[in-house]
Amino acid sequence: MFKKTVLVTSVLLSTATTVQAEETYRIGITQNNVGVDSYQTTYESAFEAAAERSDNVDVVVLDAGGDVARQIGQVRNLIQQRVDAIIIWPTNGQAVIPTLRQAHRAGIPVVVTNSKIAEAGLEFIAAFSGPDNVQQGASSAEMMCEALGGEGQIVQIAGQPGYTTAMERSKGFEDRLAESCPDVEILETQPGDWNREKAQRVMENFLTKYDDIDGVYAGDDNMGVGALNAAKSAGRARDIAFIGATNFAVGYEAIERGEYYGSIYQSPVDDAEAALQTALDILEGKEVPKMNFFETPKITADNLTEFDKPVF
Amino acid sequence: MASAEHVKQGFMLSKKHKAGLLNFLSAQGILVFFLICMFAFSLFSEQFLSQSNIMTVVRQASIIGIIAVGVTVVIIGGNLDLSVGSMLSFATVLVVDLHDKIGPIGAILVMFALTLMLGAVNGFLVGFMRLNSLIVTLAMLSATQGLVLIYSGGQNVDIANQSETWFSVFGRGYLLGIAVPVIIFALLAIIVQVVMSITGYGRRIFAIGGNPVAAVYSGIRKNWCVFSTYLISAFCVACAALVLGSRVMGSQNNVGQGYELLVLAGIILGGTSLLGGAGSIWKTVIGVLILGFIQNGLLLLGYPYYTQWLVTWVIIILAVWLDLANKRKRLLTRHS
Repeated sequence: MFKKTVLVTSVLLSTATTVQAEETYRIGITQNNVGVDSYQTTYESAFEAAAERSDNVDVVVLDAGGDVARQIGQVRNLIQQRVDAIIIWPTNGQAVIPTLRQAHRAGIPVVVTNSKIAEAGLEFIAAFSGPDNVQQGASSAEMMCEALGGEGQIVQIAGQPGYTTAMERSKGFEDRLAESCPDVEILETQPGDWNREKAQRVMENFLTKYDDIDGVYAGDDNMGVGALNAAKSAGRARDIAFIGATNFAVGYEAIERGEYYGSIYQSPVDDAEAALQTALDILEGKEVPKMNFFETPKITADNLTEFDKPVF
Repeated sequence: MASAEHVKQGFMLSKKHKAGLLNFLSAQGILVFFLICMFAFSLFSEQFLSQSNIMTVVRQASIIGIIAVGVTVVIIGGNLDLSVGSMLSFATVLVVDLHDKIGPIGAILVMFALTLMLGAVNGFLVGFMRLNSLIVTLAMLSATQGLVLIYSGGQNVDIANQSETWFSVFGRGYLLGIAVPVIIFALLAIIVQVVMSITGYGRRIFAIGGNPVAAVYSGIRKNWCVFSTYLISAFCVACAALVLGSRVMGSQNNVGQGYELLVLAGIILGGTSLLGGAGSIWKTVIGVLILGFIQNGLLLLGYPYYTQWLVTWVIIILAVWLDLANKRKRLLTRHS
């Protein structure tokens, strides 16, 4: 539904601008690390496709390869090229701030996409566009509470330490759980580094350590499925509710099979389209909320059919 | 007179025996260290020495262990292989992706063939072109990672019907109550240890690593020997990929990232010298297991992640230092 709104508005917009003046915007984007994960790869192709569809946009697509220094160089380069707007998927929410200030001083609006930057940088950016990871963690906590009937012992497998996304999801999850479901206890939290094999190993150790585990919260489905694999091997999967985030194809299938309780639907396509749209709205002088979150609904066996299976 | 001599000899023998035991213990410094670690962890965590935990750790360590067996041979031959992590990503993505396209048998064959080809490139450049192995395998690390990204288009790969394929046996299966990955690890370790310690081929690898010039003068075909060590390394990586892919039933394209360091840590912990010409598979096995048990123990004790890393590496450095101090002492006493 959301995708449709974006499409309709972008179609409306392109017709509106054609009527106004034939101005073409040059938008530069520097991504974090395309190719390391399926989400970013899908994001990139969706972004290019969205830019293709609207005929008043020229995009310069760059990839920082996970390297902060390279990304800083890329932003400087985009400033030199005098692009109309810069979209950045920060490799590090702190280190990129000085270059964002440079862009701001040069009068180029900056949209931060997907991952947030530190508070200190907020005054230099026009808007943030992306998922609300704190809210996602909170939604997962609600699902966990529901799945366990408000009582039980769970373990958490978090994302890569130091990553904003990982920290925000954990925080959202822990806070909401404590608030709305005080009888569910988190036994332990260990990172799975967004890696299925690592998460599988961590879960194997949890299974050795705790005789009684009622639920697992994983920072994304890739790790959640790893935990599920471990529990299945130990013959304990039936007693455990698995809840993840960023629904992956394997997670979707596991929900379909009834082995996985639920996840959060977060589409890289929505993410990319929202970022481009936010940049265009700003360029056209529209009022844009500073924190521009796109929808990330809960997904369980009950509403699975309303969503397309993720492509990654 | 004669009896006095005998007494003297007998006395010397017993003294020798005593020194022999001490020597043996200090020669196995890492093993002693390992036992101390195990004891210490078991004091604080009751599950640590449980049969199920030990089985879990050995099973988890077997992927790194399988790779380490191959890399140890390369190192004994006087070279390094840093490309094993990327090659593991490559082989795992390949075998998982091809599984659905051409079936498990075909996928395994193609994966072994292509991984051996990467090993052959390493071996050719180091063995025949005489390029520095550090540079060659570092380049191979990046190039192979690029290859994986091109092949997978940056997407994760998964086996579609996870429960309907016998492919899962390599990572999840059991034979006579022992996990299949552990069996593969043990078999490889035993075979390679035997080859290295009793065959002429093994002696030649040691000779090349110890003194390449002397080895060539004594008629050893150094190029081919070095070339073959990289094939062994690649073969082990392919075996590890089989286990990894089948254990996860899917693969991320950076799945092997960082494995080269863990493999090296295991080997060094085992006491194999990075200078070549010395070392043993048996010690590597111990080193890899220590690494596994340390990480498992710290996790069971509930240490936070950063502390785990810090303590792991402090222990590694400590173990290597103890081992080295021991060797120095022995060297000094022998000379005096």
